[in-house]
Amino acid sequence: MTHDASVRKDSGGNAVPAGDRTFWGRVANWGPYQAFSALLTASPRRQFLILAAFPILWLLTQHLGPMLQMLRVSLTDAYPVAPGTQQEFTLENYMRFFGDRIFWMPFFRTLTFAAVFTFCTLIITYPVAYFLARHVSRRNQMLMLLLLLVPFWVGEIVRTYAIMILLGNTGAVNLVLKWLGLIDRPIPFMYTSFSMGVGIVYLTALYMLLPLYSALEKLPQSMNEAAADLGAGAWTRFRRISLPMTIEGISSGCTLVFLISTGFYATPVLLGGPSTTVFAETIAGFFHVAGDEWPTGAAFAVIMFAAALLITGVFQKLMNMLRKGDTK
Amino acid sequence: MNHRVELNRGNRIFLACIYWAFVLYVFVPLILMILMGFKDSKFIGFPIRSWTLDWYKGVFSDTDVMFTFGYSVAIAILSTLISVIVGTWIAVLLQGRKFWGRAVTFALMVLPALVPGIISAIAFRIYARMLGIEPGMGAIVWAHAVHNVPFVSLVVMARLSTLPKSQIEAARDLGADPLIAFLRVTLPYLVPAILGASIFCLLLSLDDFVRSFFLGGYEPTLPVLIFAMLRSGMSPEINAIATVALVLTAAIGIWAERFTRRNNKETKV
Repeated sequence: MTHDASVRKDSGGNAVPAGDRTFWGRVANWGPYQAFSALLTASPRRQFLILAAFPILWLLTQHLGPMLQMLRVSLTDAYPVAPGTQQEFTLENYMRFFGDRIFWMPFFRTLTFAAVFTFCTLIITYPVAYFLARHVSRRNQMLMLLLLLVPFWVGEIVRTYAIMILLGNTGAVNLVLKWLGLIDRPIPFMYTSFSMGVGIVYLTALYMLLPLYSALEKLPQSMNEAAADLGAGAWTRFRRISLPMTIEGISSGCTLVFLISTGFYATPVLLGGPSTTVFAETIAGFFHVAGDEWPTGAAFAVIMFAAALLITGVFQKLMNMLRKGDTK
Repeated sequence: MNHRVELNRGNRIFLACIYWAFVLYVFVPLILMILMGFKDSKFIGFPIRSWTLDWYKGVFSDTDVMFTFGYSVAIAILSTLISVIVGTWIAVLLQGRKFWGRAVTFALMVLPALVPGIISAIAFRIYARMLGIEPGMGAIVWAHAVHNVPFVSLVVMARLSTLPKSQIEAARDLGADPLIAFLRVTLPYLVPAILGASIFCLLLSLDDFVRSFFLGGYEPTLPVLIFAMLRSGMSPEINAIATVALVLTAAIGIWAERFTRRNNKETKV
């Protein structure tokens, strides 16, 4: 009741119509709200500060914080610190990496695998994206893209398991090969770099497909037609138009897939074998045992992240140079 | 001219074959995995000679497994709520506003999405220890929430960029203060993007293994449970659990896709 009274009295103050009896009208004319609003929006500067304070705080403490803390722990000699002892800063955790073959072998193996799998993903998905973007009507495009999206909503573990069933000794592939009379004994696909590759390409294909698709979709059809009129064959058109024009899509797809591939843990554990141990397993090993190995694990994670960023950074620079060289 | 059309058709057929082969590659493993859950034998492998529903009966009468389902869904919902609020807030700050350090803020915003899985999990594990968060539900919710924020922000920013400025100006001219203008004009306009992003966050959280594995306590989430069972050997029981999980996520995804498409149509009209 008191609200109603205040609405009427307030008619001259704000630009809100006097007779506004809607919910929002009442809120806008309610005394405490007006005081609150005036406090928030006294000046554009204050308005911005109030808007920005929480996001900046969140980004610093939640997004940057974990990475910085990992870096800090990687430089200490013990974590968590035992009571009564002094925590000291050291580079020894990083030295350990170079000291032992069982540490740097998985590291280089991971980077090599990630590069090879990224390339395979690119080769496999490019024609698919090309077909969708260039040869399918707009109506069907969404449906056919959706068809590919559905399996990618299914989780990492379930899809990895599906690959285990596909490639096992009594799996579907071996069954078909045997039935065709091509083999007598099953081929041991599982627990090799091959099964791991099939699994990782299966998991990452979408992250390549979508950037490629959106790059190819933007490509004007008229360019291809003009080139065809000038006598360029399909291969020339692809090499001279589609490929250079989609370098940006290729570059972002490859970056994404490379970063994701280096971070897989469960898939290499389930699909790989002793000869394909990746660095993620090495890092995880330091966190399964008692806490005093954490600094080493953190250092290895930092090495891995720095290497992955360096490689993708250089790769993007190269692709950029390639693109600029082409348009000149 | 005819020759060119002919060539184009050849190309087209060739590419269509590649597309359908890719569809097979994507679907066949999952279909085989589902079929195996109906096999009347403890031994995983082809061919399947007799069929049964016993594995499913087992899953639905196993209270531990059903609890794990509920646990995973609860984590997904809680983490999504946090991600959506924080992600939207960051998006409103970043979109269409010029300020000192905007590029750095944007880079920080996308950081969790770019850090490779294992490194992200390790960093969260160490940070949780520092903050005194015990491994368990709270830690997983927190890690999922932080990890999913960039996806919300990016989707909401894309939608915000298409909001006509004149609408906000009109609201301000009619006397709405910035807060009411935001609540009555901007926020309703963002609803489809926010809902789409929430569904995506739910799926990311339900599917996440590596963060749940490193931050979980004794109670496993669904992917962690399947992983643990797989390490001790394959069995059709795992297929049944995995299939239920698959149906759950695919249903959420398809529903979201239909929902966003219907919404897009409405906004176009």
